[in-house]
Amino acid sequence: MNTLIYTAGLGMVCLAMEILDLRKLLVPVILLGLAVIFGVNLMSWADSGPVIFAGLDMSSMLLVDHFSVAFNGVLIVAAAFLFAMSHDFYKDEQHHLSDYLTIIVFILCGAMVLTSYSNLVMMFLGIEIVSISLYILAGSRRHDLRSNEAGMKYFLMGSFASAVLLFGITLLYGASGSFKLTEIASYAATYGMDSPMFLVGSLLVVCAFLFKVAAVPFHFWSPDVYEGSPSLVTTLMATLVKVSFFAAFYRLMSSGFAGIDPHTSTILVIVAAATMIVGNLVALKQINFKRLLAYSGIAHAGYMLLAILSLKTNSASALLFYGATYILATIGAFAVALPVFSSTGKETIDAFDGLGRKKPFIAGMLTLSMLSLAGIPPLAGFLGKYYIFSEAIHNGYVAITLLAVITSIIGVYYYFKVILAMYTKAGEDTEIQFPMLYSIVGIICVALSILLGLWPGGLMGLL
Amino acid sequence: MTFLGLMIPLLPLLGFLVNGLLGKYLPKGSAGWIGSLSVLASFVCVLLIFKDLQAEQAISIDVFNWIALGDFSISFGLWIDALTMIMLMVVTGVGFLIHLYSIGYMHGDEGFTRFFTYLNLFIFFMLLLVMGSNYLMMFIGWEGVGLCSYLLIGFWYKNEPFNDAAQKAFVMNRIGDLGFLLGMFFILFHFGTLDIQTVEQLAPGLASNGGLIMIITLLLFIGATGKSAQLPLYTWLPDAMAGPTPVSALIHAATMVTAGIYMIVRSNVLFALAPDTLTIILWVGVITSLFAAIIGLKQNDIKKVLAYSTVSQLGLMFVALGLGAFSSGIFHLVTHAFFKALLFLGAGSVIHALHGEQDIRKMGGLKKLIPITYITFILASLAISGFPLLSGFFSKDEILAHAFEQNKIVWIVVAVSSFLTAIYMFRLVFLTFFNNFRGSDETRSHIHESPWTMTFPLVVLCILAVLGGLIGLPAIFHVSHWLNTYLASVTEPSAALIHHGDGISHGLEIGLMCFAGLAAIVAIYLMYRKYVMQKAIPESEESQQGFIKAIANKFYVDEFFENAIVNPVFKLSEWFGTFFDKKIIDQIVNRTATTITSGGQALRLSQGGNTGTYVLAMVIGIVVLFIIRLLI
Repeated sequence: MNTLIYTAGLGMVCLAMEILDLRKLLVPVILLGLAVIFGVNLMSWADSGPVIFAGLDMSSMLLVDHFSVAFNGVLIVAAAFLFAMSHDFYKDEQHHLSDYLTIIVFILCGAMVLTSYSNLVMMFLGIEIVSISLYILAGSRRHDLRSNEAGMKYFLMGSFASAVLLFGITLLYGASGSFKLTEIASYAATYGMDSPMFLVGSLLVVCAFLFKVAAVPFHFWSPDVYEGSPSLVTTLMATLVKVSFFAAFYRLMSSGFAGIDPHTSTILVIVAAATMIVGNLVALKQINFKRLLAYSGIAHAGYMLLAILSLKTNSASALLFYGATYILATIGAFAVALPVFSSTGKETIDAFDGLGRKKPFIAGMLTLSMLSLAGIPPLAGFLGKYYIFSEAIHNGYVAITLLAVITSIIGVYYYFKVILAMYTKAGEDTEIQFPMLYSIVGIICVALSILLGLWPGGLMGLL
Repeated sequence: MTFLGLMIPLLPLLGFLVNGLLGKYLPKGSAGWIGSLSVLASFVCVLLIFKDLQAEQAISIDVFNWIALGDFSISFGLWIDALTMIMLMVVTGVGFLIHLYSIGYMHGDEGFTRFFTYLNLFIFFMLLLVMGSNYLMMFIGWEGVGLCSYLLIGFWYKNEPFNDAAQKAFVMNRIGDLGFLLGMFFILFHFGTLDIQTVEQLAPGLASNGGLIMIITLLLFIGATGKSAQLPLYTWLPDAMAGPTPVSALIHAATMVTAGIYMIVRSNVLFALAPDTLTIILWVGVITSLFAAIIGLKQNDIKKVLAYSTVSQLGLMFVALGLGAFSSGIFHLVTHAFFKALLFLGAGSVIHALHGEQDIRKMGGLKKLIPITYITFILASLAISGFPLLSGFFSKDEILAHAFEQNKIVWIVVAVSSFLTAIYMFRLVFLTFFNNFRGSDETRSHIHESPWTMTFPLVVLCILAVLGGLIGLPAIFHVSHWLNTYLASVTEPSAALIHHGDGISHGLEIGLMCFAGLAAIVAIYLMYRKYVMQKAIPESEESQQGFIKAIANKFYVDEFFENAIVNPVFKLSEWFGTFFDKKIIDQIVNRTATTITSGGQALRLSQGGNTGTYVLAMVIGIVVLFIIRLLI
């Protein structure tokens, strides 16, 4: 709870700094603030329990447990990487810098609500805080038509999904008479799925979440929005936001719908299978790097759905580990891609042509990030897949896991397309500017990917 | 002590990193000192621990929990007990001397920095191997030393045959490693852990399942035959002499090749529970020791003689293990590390003096020209031949006594092979150092004693080779056998499982010792008469016939492997390459790929960019999911 309050406070500080005209200090102050918040978050690990705020017991709204603290930690680190990169990314837009950064801080707030809600109202609030902020950020390049299109599309479709979600919540309330996850769970355990109202409501809520995590067939927004948004916002959507939605989805399924009947999981199996197949197959033909990562993100969503299917003791750990490795590899890739895009003016895969010769060290970072996304040992991405897949097999989902393994083998192809472009193709002679902060972020991400690959126990044993 | 224990492997690793990453920025030649001093510092850590650690104590260091899968976990852990201490002292102590020696030997080589980088990496992996607390850690070290051995055999990679030798060593080792791996899988499956101490404790409980323990130990032993060059996987070791001589001394004599011995002693309870495996080990050791000694008789390359001698001595150590005399095996391992490292370094000094000449027929009369090398070399030869009161005498005698007590046939064969040891060693000594120089005058004028960095290790190792036997004086000297006492905590659990005789009487033991000593002296005299008094020189290979020719050609084992395994595999590979791969596999792969990518193309078209279509798709999606939900 303190973590959330401090983060909201940091957002206020950012706005205040805009008024005091301290824009130059904005990024250092936010990074410092995040370091403090990370510490606060660590301290709340030990004393998780009922949340008291201003003398009121808020437990029916938010619940601070190890799950939320661990995910918050990962999200704070991801946010820190994004802010570090924003310094150079928004170099030419100093005017709006505080707007953008403040919105990202509030997205982090929303994400923290999503990891710790214990009430459907809070869940809805969290989703809306994150989504509305993202609509703004996606369309933030006002003079860029594609950015406008991305913002508009995301807003229209997101509103539709919100309506579905709200309708679902209403039906759940109508059936169970409560917004609280615990009471919904006990209702489901007692009456099962006999009530049509509850059945329809739960399905609608699940569909809304499938939209948010970009699972097939609710994924259509994601490639267009990823491509059109400013690249840093794409990174934000692909990493922090995606993992926080998954945490929220997991929380809903594990505590709210814990006693739900097995047929819902059959639906999830079908969706996961379609997501893996479509994500990986369509990615094969992409030439735009951001679209490529959008489809790769869809494919990864398919794998993460397996963790939500399993819902046994280790699956929360597996999801946490997978989310962290996915964030590290994706941010590591974007830390290389952002400066390459701005130097070459292209966002296609051939922007990387010849990078292996021009900047061998940078190319090495991108290579390792791609290998981690593809799940090649000893990088962390391999173990992330391994834990999720073995968890799914232990819970009896053998066929879908087999499909996951096959599709992830297909996935290796398009990750290698990027690597091949760097090493086998001769590029143009454009000078690639590579600011310091990008390389620091890239090095840390890659180093953590290797470290987690060799020593998974540090994160895997948390939950 | 935990800190010191961690430092032991970390210091050489640090040396490796400094030399490997910063080598080109450092002043030329500093790599040698960085490499040597890092190993020396590690040796000092070993001594500090040795000072405080009681024989029956052990230090367990869990660096971190490495792999955790469900309820099974493997820690990245180190384990230091009496056996580890002995190995650590040999590896870091002898290792340091050989590093120092290499500074002189490799002086001026273009790969000087690279050489020390590899050498430090080797020491690191060797330390992991002996310190690992579980089989997986041991296996990392095991593979790591194999890699370094490969890199160092092929160190002069511009020479094609040297690369071939390196590959041969690698492939032969891989065969053994497969055995080790399978053994590990069996252990993991049946014991549920790879932690060596736990396995040793659980093993007696599973002993009723005799077949299982036998399979595990046999597989581990196959691993040991690869690494420690036993029949039939020994052929890589003589070829490995292509590497620089300090490498032969360090890796292919003193340390890496003894890894198999160490591994078996480390798992001595497992092996003690499998008497059949012990019998197999015994006979493999016996045959290897005789076989290699016979081949050694007719080799004319100074390093090849020593290589076959190493194979033969390793065989002797396996004999000790096969007899269940684990600490005797370690005793011989230690003394062998001293005198064989010394012999190789001495040979290196000879080769250095003669600018690369390795053929003993072109040597001779070197004793006055390189006196320090001569004196140390001859003392080492006496030690390996079992000359009374030198180190090899005691360690070999202990094995012979065990053999005499348990199996007279083994005793006879081992006695013969140790007689042959004296023969081939002194044939080498007399041809190299006595009579007149047989090379060109040009070469002779350049002969000089080596620099101090090379002679100092020779002298130190020589003292060890002479006095090394003191750590295991037999009971007849009325002192306790220090090594046996020191290792008791490690070998005791297995000693209870193996039925040992009551030991042989002191009179008989003295008799055996006298016999062995006498045999060595007779052998030396025979060689003196032939090569010094009669001035015989070995004939060239072409003029040899019959059995002698077979010996000189190493019993055609290489040719056998070539025709029985290598060529058929090549033929098969060619067929797979031209037909199976191109016609079948490629077709399947290409068809699959085109199908998948065209599938991607088709699906991509659904992404038209029209928001209305997307929303429609979502609605259809929701409806379809509802229908599915209602139908099931």
